[in-house]
Amino acid sequence: MNIYTANTKGLLPVLKYIIKRLLLLIPVVIGVSIIVFVIMRVFSPDPAPVVLGEHATQDMVDAWRQANGLSDPLYLQYFHFLIGIFTGDLGKSYYTKTPVIAEIMARFPATIELAISAIIFASIFGILIGAISAVKKNTLVDSAGMVTALIGVSMPIFWLGILLIILFSGILHILPSTGRIDILLQPKTVTGFYLIDTLIAGNFAGFWSAIRHLILPAVALGLYSMAIIARMTRSSMLETLGQDYIRTARAKGVTEGRVIRKHALRNALIPVVTVIGLQLGSLLGGAVLTETVFSWPGIGAYTVQCILKSDFPVVQGVVMLVAVTFVIINLIVDIVYAFLDPRIKYNKKEA
Amino acid sequence: MKNTRIFALIIALVSLLTLTACGGTTPAPSSSPSASPSAPANTDAANLADTLTFAQGAEPRGLDPALVDDGESSKVIVNIYEGLLKYAKDSTALEPCLATSWKVSDDGLTYTFELRQGVKFQDGTDFNAEAVKYNIERQMPGNATTDMTYADFVYGYVTKVEAPDTYTVVVTLKDKNTPFLSNLAMSMAAPMVSPKALQENNGSVMEKPVGTGPYSFDRWDKGQDVVLVRNDNYWGDKAKTQNVIFRFISDNSARVVALTNGEVDMIDGIDATVIDQLKSAGMTVDQPDGMNTNYMAYNVDSPIFSNAENRKAVSEAVNVPELVQSLYQGYASPADTILPSFVPGFSSDIKQVAYNPDDAKTILSKNGVTAVHIITYSNVRPYNTANGDVLATAIQGYLSKVNVTATIDSYDWTTYKEKVKAGDFDIAFYGWTGDNGDPDNFMSLLSDKDPAMNISRFNDPTYLELINKGKTTPNGDDRNAIYKQLEQIQVDQNPWLLVSHSKLLSAYSPKIQDYYYHVTGNVFLSQMTKLK
Repeated sequence: MNIYTANTKGLLPVLKYIIKRLLLLIPVVIGVSIIVFVIMRVFSPDPAPVVLGEHATQDMVDAWRQANGLSDPLYLQYFHFLIGIFTGDLGKSYYTKTPVIAEIMARFPATIELAISAIIFASIFGILIGAISAVKKNTLVDSAGMVTALIGVSMPIFWLGILLIILFSGILHILPSTGRIDILLQPKTVTGFYLIDTLIAGNFAGFWSAIRHLILPAVALGLYSMAIIARMTRSSMLETLGQDYIRTARAKGVTEGRVIRKHALRNALIPVVTVIGLQLGSLLGGAVLTETVFSWPGIGAYTVQCILKSDFPVVQGVVMLVAVTFVIINLIVDIVYAFLDPRIKYNKKEA
Repeated sequence: MKNTRIFALIIALVSLLTLTACGGTTPAPSSSPSASPSAPANTDAANLADTLTFAQGAEPRGLDPALVDDGESSKVIVNIYEGLLKYAKDSTALEPCLATSWKVSDDGLTYTFELRQGVKFQDGTDFNAEAVKYNIERQMPGNATTDMTYADFVYGYVTKVEAPDTYTVVVTLKDKNTPFLSNLAMSMAAPMVSPKALQENNGSVMEKPVGTGPYSFDRWDKGQDVVLVRNDNYWGDKAKTQNVIFRFISDNSARVVALTNGEVDMIDGIDATVIDQLKSAGMTVDQPDGMNTNYMAYNVDSPIFSNAENRKAVSEAVNVPELVQSLYQGYASPADTILPSFVPGFSSDIKQVAYNPDDAKTILSKNGVTAVHIITYSNVRPYNTANGDVLATAIQGYLSKVNVTATIDSYDWTTYKEKVKAGDFDIAFYGWTGDNGDPDNFMSLLSDKDPAMNISRFNDPTYLELINKGKTTPNGDDRNAIYKQLEQIQVDQNPWLLVSHSKLLSAYSPKIQDYYYHVTGNVFLSQMTKLK
């Protein structure tokens, strides 16, 4: 049996692996829910005065707490929250009275669109810079590439964002500074991703507007990841270029360009993919500053506002969502691995 | 093959960037009619744009006037809804709106409103006495839910609403309460919502507002904008511009760039640091006095300031006009009375004690006052755009000149409110932002029993008596005279030192005509136009 599975090619082990990983989500969800629940209760100010405003009397505060289940004992509150997670009911925002799911879903596509654009920008330019730097090691090109990476790692996002806005919007007037799209060109919501929705609607002016709005935030958000990816690619490339099989390939008379692309780069990319996956996860959570600077209507800036207003249901919902997304992205990365590196098997015990 | 594909991708990216650069040299028009979701109707003049864009610092909490309490919601609400009364253009005096006239019975308990006829809600239903009754009953004591933040403030006195005929509403109060009329002009709780819309949406129109105002709601893209379109059935002067967009840009400098870059036409929530930048970019800065007061309160329960002489002396030690000029750079005006100048009852001939450090020094040394304990807040407040620390330090400087040492304890706002309530201080800083534009709203601070409101703990029987008299006297000269007397008591007793009224700063592009930002902090867009 063991030998049989170990030798099986095809989808079965992958599927098993995916199911196993998805089952692991359950303890993750419970763990994260406990942490976020406790943090919100312990470190956040009482939401009642925030929601009810300056005129609230103690009676009104008490009545409101009663109506929102906040006078229940903590374990009961947590239990209701947990039941809610598994039944898909995350409650209503204290502040706007809109269901949390609706609030999140109105904003999450914007964050994903921005994060994916940023990671595409970061991957393309990061791999390009890293690979060129490795091939042209110790030349001026290499130094320029690595200085760019150093700047990318060191520059705070919000500062970079403001500089970009001042240069491209404030002085040159060639790109918009805020928002996702020219509001009058906004497409009907189908997927929530404007790049896709505008194309579905055949609204090319809208598509163009969405791209123009996306450039600055994607660059600001992606620059750090680009720098990390560039460094990773460079060191990984250098290591690969020193391998025996590269010498063999060259000895066989393979052209240098082909050696670099086919033999060196492809093998060097394996650790880079891990980094890209991790970066995408952190971009989803780390877009807070970018979203604030560029008024990008995403989940990050919104969550910060909700934390400040002690809007428990929203904060809890967002944290759960991000945790689950993070796990799923990691899973996808692990699967992509297998396609890049045939040596990796999902039934490690047997192999 | 792969080779070429990568090259194609790079070329595509490069050309994309170049195109962006080229495309940008002529700024994209803010609207292209063909793609607009709601096709703009013909404008009065061909040279007027069909869309106005206003950028504010935060998203509205919601658009149901009964369920919100924030200024960002209010700005949108006043363009969709109207109340029975409204404020005059540049003050908080009252004018008819959905009620054409009103009568108050001699005992001051019964208010009879004659309603405007032929008005329709934006969903086509009639505005009539039943609708008013529905709106008031929704928020009356007993029916109001805990999250109706202004229900108690606006309708707390109401015991009964009747609709004797289609266009007459009779409201009965349990006590005489003249500010009730001012409450009905507020942008919270008072605006009239379509009963049909409320019934269809489970009693909350937070995201589906329907009123009688010049603009009707089109859509709300969460986190981005609210879009309103002209209400073509509006009973009054119809809106001059077809579309109105409220955008939410939280970062101050980004909001400024959005204005100078032509992405938006008007912004508010700005501070003095960006005024020069805006002016040099050709923008106009609007700066009326706001409905707020920034003050320094003496704790009349403390050993030092239970003596009125000491309160007066410390007030004399501070040069208020100089202080206000240096802290707020001209973006706040020195206050002489708690009332902003546009609130009825304001008297221009009331003056606070004048700057007189020599007299202050004599009295304080005679009474042996050498040290005071100041508490303050560490953040910026709407009435104090420099923060509480800066203000306290400035006062500390003035006090040192009269040989009084001040120790300052500074707290974040939430903690600070607790400290103020606890009362362990000689001097504290606070402020007030008015709700309904009625003088009582400001004046009754000093008669309130709650130390969180009346932080001076001022307790004067004459003052209390006059406050009650003011509440029950009908609007007019007699009532204003009462508030003048109250202002005089404040000057004589010095329970607080009034510092400033901070200005409401907003800015707009030179293309905007007839800009109108009301002293209550609301922006009325229906009569504004924008040149193409």
